[in-house]
Amino acid sequence: MFQTKLCEILNIQYPIIQGGMAWVATAELAAAVSEAGGLGIIAAGNAPAEVVEQEIKKAKALTDKPFGVNIMLLSPFVEEVVDVVCREKVSVVTTGAGNPGKFMGRFKEIGTKVIPVVPSVALAKRMEKLGADAVIVEGTEAGGHIGELTTMVLVPQVASEISIPVIAAGGIADGRGFLASLSLGADGVQIGTRFICAEECVVHDNYKQMVIKAKDRDAIVSARTTGHPVRVLKNKLTKEFSQMEKAGATIDEIEKLGVGKLRLAVVEGDIENGSVMAGQIASMVKEIQPCGEIIEDIINGAKEQLNILSQYKKEE
Amino acid sequence: MLFEKVVKIIGEQLGLDDVSNIEATTSLMNDLEADSLDAVEIIMAIEDEFGVEIPDEEAEKFKNIGDIVKYVEANQ
Repeated sequence: MFQTKLCEILNIQYPIIQGGMAWVATAELAAAVSEAGGLGIIAAGNAPAEVVEQEIKKAKALTDKPFGVNIMLLSPFVEEVVDVVCREKVSVVTTGAGNPGKFMGRFKEIGTKVIPVVPSVALAKRMEKLGADAVIVEGTEAGGHIGELTTMVLVPQVASEISIPVIAAGGIADGRGFLASLSLGADGVQIGTRFICAEECVVHDNYKQMVIKAKDRDAIVSARTTGHPVRVLKNKLTKEFSQMEKAGATIDEIEKLGVGKLRLAVVEGDIENGSVMAGQIASMVKEIQPCGEIIEDIINGAKEQLNILSQYKKEE
Repeated sequence: MLFEKVVKIIGEQLGLDDVSNIEATTSLMNDLEADSLDAVEIIMAIEDEFGVEIPDEEAEKFKNIGDIVKYVEANQ
């Protein structure tokens, strides 16, 4: 069930893509998601090309199924990372923080599917024109760096304007969100926050526990005054950020405070002074589960929900 | 004239009431407070209007509205 156009294009069983979360989305997580029938993604983030290469090789050793790499276009190593991804002939590339236009030709040449993350209708149309295979439409509900519009409003608008598959992201964690995304015109979903709490995910246990304990209003937007807002779970660091912003700190000062803080939370497990990026859906993540169970739960939940909704047909 | 047409498109895209003070040296981002997504919309509207292709590598080089006009003139 739920065999969409996206499954065909990416050669995957379920139209579920795991978000390319810097530091979090390593080979272990990506391979586990791909093994479970979704599409796992290794996040390149700001990592040097050698690190990305090792992760790709590790993932290849763990799974024969397709997986992808998320390239952060503002990375100081972006050119070298693109070289590695091409050399390793990675099946799928997702891109964030900009426009992948100038690399598109190289990926297409080797048959790598290119899926940019887009925050607006115009950019989605431009990416389609440039030859993107699909787009990820990410609403502001997502964790990490975010745009302004919500998933609810952005997905249908983009879906109406382009003919390549649309992947909904931001605020999706279960079968209901999955089915809602398909209703909005998406051909699949990208899920980040729930996969943070996957058994196979290597993030520090403190980070996982903080996501599990999070309540509905805990994932707040930080550093809005810099023009690069980030959604994170409330802690000591977010208080510092908001105090600085209130005191009129410069963009440079605020950005400086953020340096290295994601690593501090993910690797060191310092969830008070680190940046615990997570989406608004965090409070719906209740337990640590293997990727296979997460995907199964989402698909089964969507089937159930489809049955519930089909009752309305009887009223005709 | 081409310049006026380009300014008109920019005014419409950014929702500016008054475009009379826009000059060739005006910068979209620095002077008109457009963000990168506004810029994409403007470039695409200009492509549609004048039937030109503006690759991203070229668009990135534009420093002001005069540069956009020059590009359209040369490639129309």
